[in-house]
Amino acid sequence: MRVSYSWLKTLVDVTVPAAVLADRLALTGTEVDAVDTVGDGLDGIVVGHILTRERHPDADTLWVTTVDVGTGEPLQIVCGAQNFVASDKVPVACVGTTMPDGRVIKKSKLRGVVSYGMNCSESELGISADARGLLILPEDAQVGMPIARYLGVADAVLDCDVTPNRPDCLSMHGMAREVGAVYDLDVTPERFELIEEGEPVANLVDVTIADAELCPRYTARVIRGVKVGPSPEWLARRVVAAGARPVNNVVDVTNYVLFSLGQPLHAFDLGRFPKMADGRAHVVVRAARDGEPFTTLDGTSRELTSDMAVIAAATSGGDDAAALAASSIPMALAGVMGGLDSEVTDATVDVLLESATFSPAHTSRTSRNLSLVSEASIRYERGVDDNACADFSNQAAALMAQVTGGTVCAGIVDTYLTCTEPNRLTLRVARLQALLGALIPEADVTRILTRLGCTVEPGEKPGELEVRTPTFRPDLPREIDLYEEVLRLWGMDRVRPTLPGGRERIGGRTVEQIRADRVGAILRACGLNETVTYSFAPHDDLERLGMPEEGRGTAVELINPMSAEQRVMRRSIVPGLLRSVASNQAHGVRDIHLYEEGRVFAGVEGRELPREHKLVAAALAGAWVEPGWNQPSVPLDFFDAKGVLENLFRELAIPKVRFKALDPERGPWLQPGRAAEVLAGGRQLGWVGEVHPLALEAFHVKGPVVAFELSEEGLFASARVSRDHVDVPHFPAVSVDLALVVDECVTAESVEQAIASAGGKLLESIHLFDVYRDEDRLGLGKKSLAFSLTFRAEDRTLTSDEVDKAYGRLVRKVRGVVGGEVRG
Amino acid sequence: MKWGWKRHPRLGVVNARRDLVMEIVSQLERLRTDAYAAIEGASTTAALEEVRVAFLGKKGSLTTILRGMGQLPTEERPAAGRASNTVRDAIEEALSTRGDELARAELAHRMAADAVDVTLPGRSMPIGSRHLINSIRDEISEIFAGIGYRAVDGREVETDYYNFTALNTPPDHPARGMQDTFYVVDRSGGQAAVRGESNVLLRTQTSGVQAHIMEEQEPPIYIIAPGKVYRRDVADPSHLPQFNQIEGLVVDKEITFGDLKGTLDYVCKQIFGPDRETRFRPHFFPFTEPSAEVDVSCGICHGEGCRFCKGTGWLEILGCGMVDPNVFVYAGIDPEVYSGFAFGMGVERIACLKYDIPDLRVLLEGDMRFLRQY
Repeated sequence: MRVSYSWLKTLVDVTVPAAVLADRLALTGTEVDAVDTVGDGLDGIVVGHILTRERHPDADTLWVTTVDVGTGEPLQIVCGAQNFVASDKVPVACVGTTMPDGRVIKKSKLRGVVSYGMNCSESELGISADARGLLILPEDAQVGMPIARYLGVADAVLDCDVTPNRPDCLSMHGMAREVGAVYDLDVTPERFELIEEGEPVANLVDVTIADAELCPRYTARVIRGVKVGPSPEWLARRVVAAGARPVNNVVDVTNYVLFSLGQPLHAFDLGRFPKMADGRAHVVVRAARDGEPFTTLDGTSRELTSDMAVIAAATSGGDDAAALAASSIPMALAGVMGGLDSEVTDATVDVLLESATFSPAHTSRTSRNLSLVSEASIRYERGVDDNACADFSNQAAALMAQVTGGTVCAGIVDTYLTCTEPNRLTLRVARLQALLGALIPEADVTRILTRLGCTVEPGEKPGELEVRTPTFRPDLPREIDLYEEVLRLWGMDRVRPTLPGGRERIGGRTVEQIRADRVGAILRACGLNETVTYSFAPHDDLERLGMPEEGRGTAVELINPMSAEQRVMRRSIVPGLLRSVASNQAHGVRDIHLYEEGRVFAGVEGRELPREHKLVAAALAGAWVEPGWNQPSVPLDFFDAKGVLENLFRELAIPKVRFKALDPERGPWLQPGRAAEVLAGGRQLGWVGEVHPLALEAFHVKGPVVAFELSEEGLFASARVSRDHVDVPHFPAVSVDLALVVDECVTAESVEQAIASAGGKLLESIHLFDVYRDEDRLGLGKKSLAFSLTFRAEDRTLTSDEVDKAYGRLVRKVRGVVGGEVRG
Repeated sequence: MKWGWKRHPRLGVVNARRDLVMEIVSQLERLRTDAYAAIEGASTTAALEEVRVAFLGKKGSLTTILRGMGQLPTEERPAAGRASNTVRDAIEEALSTRGDELARAELAHRMAADAVDVTLPGRSMPIGSRHLINSIRDEISEIFAGIGYRAVDGREVETDYYNFTALNTPPDHPARGMQDTFYVVDRSGGQAAVRGESNVLLRTQTSGVQAHIMEEQEPPIYIIAPGKVYRRDVADPSHLPQFNQIEGLVVDKEITFGDLKGTLDYVCKQIFGPDRETRFRPHFFPFTEPSAEVDVSCGICHGEGCRFCKGTGWLEILGCGMVDPNVFVYAGIDPEVYSGFAFGMGVERIACLKYDIPDLRVLLEGDMRFLRQY
């Protein structure tokens, strides 16, 4: 809502500078986005008198003029406008003037003729968008007078951001009332005297509302014999200040009343309405038909739906409402925009003036569905007060008659189906004070509410007030809404800040939250960087990766995605991470260590809501470090990711973890032979592996990339709450090495398990320190696994004899289980 | 020695013995002198060890001399023994002194040779970084934990009931439209699904969590709900369709608007610094009444007005208000008994205010060069 300060001052006697008012409004609930100064920057532009007008010798479209600007010697100015004659008075920008758009006027040559200034249009002055020609000033304009003073355009316009609950503030009178409440000032409404003449309107127009839900009230007046032309300058200027373009005196009056009083109006050319047998035009307010075509006055042809309302003209049907409606053709899209065919034109003589209210919900949907927002629709979807419809119509008709020379027909056609009643509320002052935490005196409460248009009387009990809220305030149906009004105008800044004293409150984090944070902290300690990627994904993400859908639910599809790349909710975090890897690589970043903790979404047929699972995933590429003077740069592989997970499991106290070779059929997105599923005590936690080269190619990633994805629910369910304490050993240990040559297919895990079960009580730990292959020495398809075994007894120093026996037994048993030879 | 022998034959025997003692003593003295010289001449601990072996070792000079003591009569032996011990002690002390000297010198030499250029880079496994947004989330959660709030988690895919209706959002509110909110296909096969419409959406605010908590938990309630939310904004430097919010809810007896002010003023000072001021501007939200927006004074111009705060001296950071009685009614809480307040802040917004990030999209790109900065 654009509020002209000079206009506002005619309604309420506010004296502070515009900027101060803007700040005060911000603190009472009306945000002011900007304070624009109109007429600023017009210094150097004066009223000029065109003395001569000659064709430019070398240009058909240019004129050479001499202009008196009151300085004695007339100026020679070359001009491209066509709408003027010698003797016209126009605004002239002299040499040295900085125009509102920043341009500086200089002495210049146009096709060889020197020009000492510029004759200006309205758009060049920045007072309207009209650039069709020079602004022709009245003959009595005083030559040499600064144009800003002459036009009286020096004004401040407050661009107010009115919240959706305050339709009343979408008008100058509403803003004046608000400002009056802020500063405790009276408001002087603007009134135009209505003179009715001649034929009763009821003889000319009939109105039928076919659906009360669409339209609670519809009033019609007729103004006859209008002379359509430009508006008087004061009217045009106010319309411009409010943000509209002056059109003609009829349309400008409807816009003026809309801005001034908040009542959207529509002026139809009555001549365009078919006359029925009774000699009257029959207006029908009805639902549009599905698919009904209609051309709005912006020239766009639109297809309507039955959820929209139209103002239609009946063509037949007599007294039968249904027949009237059936025969009617749309003339306007109710509450949103008029139609091209019934628009007021220069030829219009009789105006049918509509002042009505339409359903906020229907108007809002119509506007949204047609992507058509108008000053009218903005107000109707927030709510226009039906009680004021007729009075505002009277004001509009009076003003229209005044500026068009027309006459207002006697009476008004008023079809009033649903009337909004004022709310009667009881306000408990003590409760207001308790809830707000401020001892706001009852007198202040009464004063503030009265200024806002409420009537306030003492209630039945002491400390209670009976409040009747005005119908233009649909946002005040409850006692609590009055508290807000009182608080914002009394001053939020005056409430003393306190802290709640609650007795039974315990803050902090849950075990789950602590664990989730712990997961992140461990991964970071391992060198991974946390990232966040989109929860959205292209629908073929899994397919592109080669990840089967099984176990991941159906895709959660967006009905209204922003782009094809974001059509579904992700079912794995890994594709997003791979996109980040690709983007890093594209920017020349080689070493990439990313992890993300986030959700994936699994749709379930027959269920409204999908399952949401929290996962932790990582993608590693390049090396941990760049080659350093004292540190080699080792390419990352499977074991780097596995090492990270080993740290993670150790830190989360997850026992019995297994890395089991993943069958390529079950993990096709991973490189066969370099992938494992991760289990803890039989529970599936996820997977780790090097991403399949073809999958990397599909994501434009240079490999190798090693990744993992684990279920956080699984991790937390496996994690032990506390650990067992084991006393540190007091007796010395004996270390023995065992190198076992086994077949390639024998896994380290199986050998270790065999050693562990064969080692007996004395075997304390097993450490694999070497894997060795040599065709010549070990034979084809063989490998040597070298373990360091530590023997220790809890209660004594072991003798070498005991160790030898235990070791010998261990070797025998292990060979019995996994085969193989002991290397000497 | 000869002179004694010649002068007194009877004494000669005695003299001869005495000569032998003298001989040994003088040998010892010579040994001492030689040893001192050798010790002085040894320039390394290894050479010194050789000296020790040569003089005191099993085959060393002292041993040879001592062997000669076997020829002495028993009564002379203690004196000779004492003399040899004195010499041995003296040599050992000299060895030890010189040994210490040499060891110190050698250590100093070794250390001099071992000196490094301390400006060369160290050797480490780099540790990772927390994402900026989550680190701010942590920080704020911590502040609230300190004043007794629990952090709670909720769904990201919600029903419109919990996201809108239970929060008193009117049925035709623009925020509910397909323009502003992401809807997902309803797979329930229920009425809405059959009509082709959907009541299932990506949450646009974490307030839905509050509605669930109010249904599930008796007051008093002191919670925050941090999490991802989604709105249909085109990703550009100042918008993301996916971002993070932290919303808070308090429901208790006798909660006042002053409590709301005090709480948020405390939190803002914790986040932005104790010298920052807050101001409350009345606003409108469907789920609170009265409602307010909170500004914090600009940290760059301290309220004077500058480009960062667009000349106002204030930066808008959060929305808040007293819980609307309708929201209590939806949740089955009696608004005549309980009151409360709610607030919501955008984590990305706070990140922008603290770090002046020119383009929010960097938050979702996973660029290592960005992530490693925090």
